[in-house]
Amino acid sequence: MRGFTYFRMTALFVLGVLVHWWWTTYLSFWGLAPQLLMVLTIVAAARRGPIPAMCFGFAWGIALDVFALHLMGATSLALVLAGYLVGAIRRQMDVASGAAQCVIVAAGTWAFFTFTGLLELLFTRHFLWPGWGMFLLAPIYNCVLAPVLFWCWDFVIES
Amino acid sequence: MQPHREERAANIALATLCAASVVLMFLPLSRPIRAVRACVAHVFEPMVFAGAQGTERLALVPKRARELMEADIENRALREEIARVGMVKAEMESVRAENARLAAALGLKVAEGKTVLWGRVMERDPAHWYHSVMVDVGRRDGVALNAAVLAQREGTVVVLGRIGEVLERTSKVLLVTDEFSSVAACLSSGTVEGLIQGQGTERLRMNYLHSEAVVSPGDQVLTSATSATFPPGILVGAVAKGYARDPFLTFQSAEVRPAIDPASVKEVIILR
Repeated sequence: MRGFTYFRMTALFVLGVLVHWWWTTYLSFWGLAPQLLMVLTIVAAARRGPIPAMCFGFAWGIALDVFALHLMGATSLALVLAGYLVGAIRRQMDVASGAAQCVIVAAGTWAFFTFTGLLELLFTRHFLWPGWGMFLLAPIYNCVLAPVLFWCWDFVIES
Repeated sequence: MQPHREERAANIALATLCAASVVLMFLPLSRPIRAVRACVAHVFEPMVFAGAQGTERLALVPKRARELMEADIENRALREEIARVGMVKAEMESVRAENARLAAALGLKVAEGKTVLWGRVMERDPAHWYHSVMVDVGRRDGVALNAAVLAQREGTVVVLGRIGEVLERTSKVLLVTDEFSSVAACLSSGTVEGLIQGQGTERLRMNYLHSEAVVSPGDQVLTSATSATFPPGILVGAVAKGYARDPFLTFQSAEVRPAIDPASVKEVIILR
């Protein structure tokens, strides 16, 4: 994790959690808010590779599980896998373009919903369905957010 | 070799983090996490524990922490109560001070422990014009039966009657002109004492005056110190005329004009 000091990693983790909490608490419309931490995990994977992305994904996933009282470990597992997969495909796919970012984020969002739902079903006998509104609109919301986060990452972390 | 090393490190990290996540999924962490969340929420926003939902959330917290949180919640409630009581006390002090100021301004000497209450005349019965009026203060305001009722006339406090009936929000004032009213009174010209009695008309009658007493028209009639209801020295009225002496009676009587016409009274002063 070249270029990442512990302080910067911790700061990025805390900042991500705080912004996510603030956005979902105060800036959600009709219960809809972007999955900021999932998109950030994808951004980290695309820019820094799978290992930093998996580490951040695991930590942010734990935070999301604690916040949302979901099955503990489900979101962290989903984000670890997302970080690994995006980190793996970044060598085969150009993730610099906005279109590619949107495709990855949209596919990642639907995969995230499906995967966490299935995990809940497996462990709690209850499929975690986010609702049609969230299922259909969250990917769009995330796609709008993704280029902004890529730009922020390049501007703040990489520069 | 570098890409292979990175790939291997990534695979190891993947396996480790996935294993950690799966282990977390198998652990029964829901209850402790809820407890920690409840404690943290209480630190940042104590009011979220109000109501049934708060009780439910508090039930998740370990006993010792729950006791501390309940004590904190109770402490906050008591602080609010103290603040509220403080405001009520300040308001009461203000009202008491205003009462004292008004009473002093009117020259009224209120007995120790008694306070002055103002009320408005809200109803008069046309069939009993000189008998009673209704005022808009009652039991909830601290009005008691037989409390003295005064009125103000040109800056002077005068006798109006006494409380004859107390309801929750209203009271009936038995006017001094009512047939069943009587007030111990004395003449301003001397120490002659008598009993003012209502006639059911606009005039009063003062009985039991000493047979040798000199009663002159215009003499002021004031409440006596022997009155059980009224403070001494309150104006009741003025002598209109003295009745001819009856040789068969040991006292004389006088007709008294009330100091105030009950029909003109809009506000009353009740001593409670």
